[in-house]
Amino acid sequence: MDLEREGGRGANQLRPIDCSRNVLSRAHGSASCSHGETRVLAAVYGPKAGTKKNENPEKACIEVIWKPKSGQIGKPEKEFEMILKRTLQNICLLNVHPNTTTSIIVQVVHDDACAALIDAGIPLKYLAESGKILLDPNKLEEQKTKAFVCLAFPSSVHSVLTEGSINGIITSLTHGVMAVDDYFQCVEQGRAAITPLSNILKKKLQSQSAE
Amino acid sequence: MEQRLGSTWRMTVNEKKFIETALLSDLRTDGRGPFDYRNLTIQFGSEDGSSEVQLGQTRVMGFVTSQLVQPYRDRPNEGSLAIFTEFSPMADPSFEVGRPGEFAVELGRIVDRGLRESRAVDTESLCVVAGKWVWSIRIDLHILDNGGNLVDAANIAALAALLTFRRPECTLGGEDGQEVTIHPPDVREPLPLIVHHLPIAVTFAFIGNESTVVIDPSHFEEAVMGGKLTATLNTNGDVCAIQKAGGEGVMQSVIMQCLRIASVKAADITDKIKKAVGLDGGVVEVAHERYESGLWTLILKNGGVWLLILLTNWSSKEAFCSFTLLHLLEKLRNKTFVLVGKAAWKGVNNLSKEMEKPKMKTEDRSINQDDMEIEIHSSKKDGSSLGDNKPKAFTGGPSSWDPYSKGVNVDELKASLASRAVVTPKEEMDTSPPLKPATDESLKDADPAPSSQETAGTTEHTNEAKTLKDAVKPKHKRKKKKNLHHLFETLLETRLSRCCNVNLLCSLELAIVACN
Repeated sequence: MDLEREGGRGANQLRPIDCSRNVLSRAHGSASCSHGETRVLAAVYGPKAGTKKNENPEKACIEVIWKPKSGQIGKPEKEFEMILKRTLQNICLLNVHPNTTTSIIVQVVHDDACAALIDAGIPLKYLAESGKILLDPNKLEEQKTKAFVCLAFPSSVHSVLTEGSINGIITSLTHGVMAVDDYFQCVEQGRAAITPLSNILKKKLQSQSAE
Repeated sequence: MEQRLGSTWRMTVNEKKFIETALLSDLRTDGRGPFDYRNLTIQFGSEDGSSEVQLGQTRVMGFVTSQLVQPYRDRPNEGSLAIFTEFSPMADPSFEVGRPGEFAVELGRIVDRGLRESRAVDTESLCVVAGKWVWSIRIDLHILDNGGNLVDAANIAALAALLTFRRPECTLGGEDGQEVTIHPPDVREPLPLIVHHLPIAVTFAFIGNESTVVIDPSHFEEAVMGGKLTATLNTNGDVCAIQKAGGEGVMQSVIMQCLRIASVKAADITDKIKKAVGLDGGVVEVAHERYESGLWTLILKNGGVWLLILLTNWSSKEAFCSFTLLHLLEKLRNKTFVLVGKAAWKGVNNLSKEMEKPKMKTEDRSINQDDMEIEIHSSKKDGSSLGDNKPKAFTGGPSSWDPYSKGVNVDELKASLASRAVVTPKEEMDTSPPLKPATDESLKDADPAPSSQETAGTTEHTNEAKTLKDAVKPKHKRKKKKNLHHLFETLLETRLSRCCNVNLLCSLELAIVACN
């Protein structure tokens, strides 16, 4: 299948990724990540004392605040917050700091494709377009497709889970209609793409911490 | 929420004393002098209208978006400007999500007063259909990092975003001319906003008891200060807004001194903003505007280039020559005057042909060069070179001009301006004598060119009602060309629509005046 994508990417190629840490001075932790044109800034404050009302005080609570570039906060933003929160809850060890709240604030700087980029999790996006599967779409491609899948896998380096779910999927979010086979193929491609992605991130973050 | 006591940060007594004592010897904790600003960097995102400003540790992002809405009832032909500040919790642990606290509201108000109430952004040019559709500009300011002095940084971010913002071009159509079609950026190039001046906010902090004043307080200094004063000024020496809300009492002499320092700093920062945006970023300042006895004059300034636009009717050209020109020349004293081009047109019909011909040449010129160059070097060096590009002239007789009837046909204006076509009417001979004595010899170089045109001029009267839309070339891709003529068009549209007649016969003279 010959596909012509913008920028000459093949069906299985990712956009260029850039990542930098510690960009903000007041936040306890911060990172700026960009996938091609999409840029996202994230900051972490915590652990702070106390949990929210309905949360379990035996565990740490993670609070995610998603800020869009402009406009009011609406339902899509709430959905992203929930997705991120659930993804992160599975990744982090929650028993280490009970009764605390860690706030993660994500600010979308430029939105070329729905991006859920966080330091720990490595979500990837796929789309299935009448039989062809493209990895890591940008906005135009996303708009043209029939369906897309957003998958988050744990990478063996970053995750702390030891319960044998190394190859499992943490989060899967789909839009549109696709065949079951297509879905599994997306999962396979995603899993395969995890390694280069995590290697890139690891290299960037390590080189920064060495400074 | 209320349980998050760990998020409040208190200053220790030691730190407070240290800052105060250091200031007594004019030392600040980061090594600055009391009236030094921190490093200012302005960056832009890949979209139009997005900016990121870093002032020391403080980071603010600004985004500008626009939307077509119905205007307010009491201002049916003005667009609107709204500022929204987002104190993101990532900036400071004490910022909470949800409704803005009083500090956020205050910051929004200060920036709003500086931009909107001082009429820095021209809202009349945002009108599409009076009473029905106007552009509403929304500025979102996101505070990313609170390193102190958020007001100044937010103000600069808002200005930088406004200067790089481009709104889509829209045209009226439909049966009654009421339908608005918005053109996407790849069909018609979007237009910049018209910004009359840049209001810059400068913040002072009063620390300690002996009226120690510091400019641009950092986060620690803000925690220690007794009072704060923000003055919003522009480079024309106007004070747009002053905010001193509570805090320690300060003597008048200190406040006057602060204002004086602020005007110096405002000039500095304006330069930096302009440099970051690029002089061709659409900063067109209206330096002079006057409508008097059948003559309307406008002087626009873009960086170092001045553009003089004179609109008159044939019969009052004497008035124009004698009175206005001298008045204007006096205003622009000590500048080098170079007459580059003049354009005149008549009526609704005859333009299309003329427009098509010179369009090719002049359009190329405007694409290739910067505004500075197009005005300066093409005229200074060789005034006659432009003469070659001028199309055939046609002349017409005088006609009545009713200044209070409906607007001029805007498309004509657009076409004539966009092409900068030069058509020489008879009166050019009349106007050149009064110009000569008042200007220097570079003008004389340009003079032979118009007069040669004069002889080549032919009178053409065609009665075909061709629409000028055919003459306007569709713009394909976004080029990096200057949007100066778009600005002129919009400015002129709004001004002229108030004072011109559809069947008007008038001459539009563009004399490009370059200054050293």
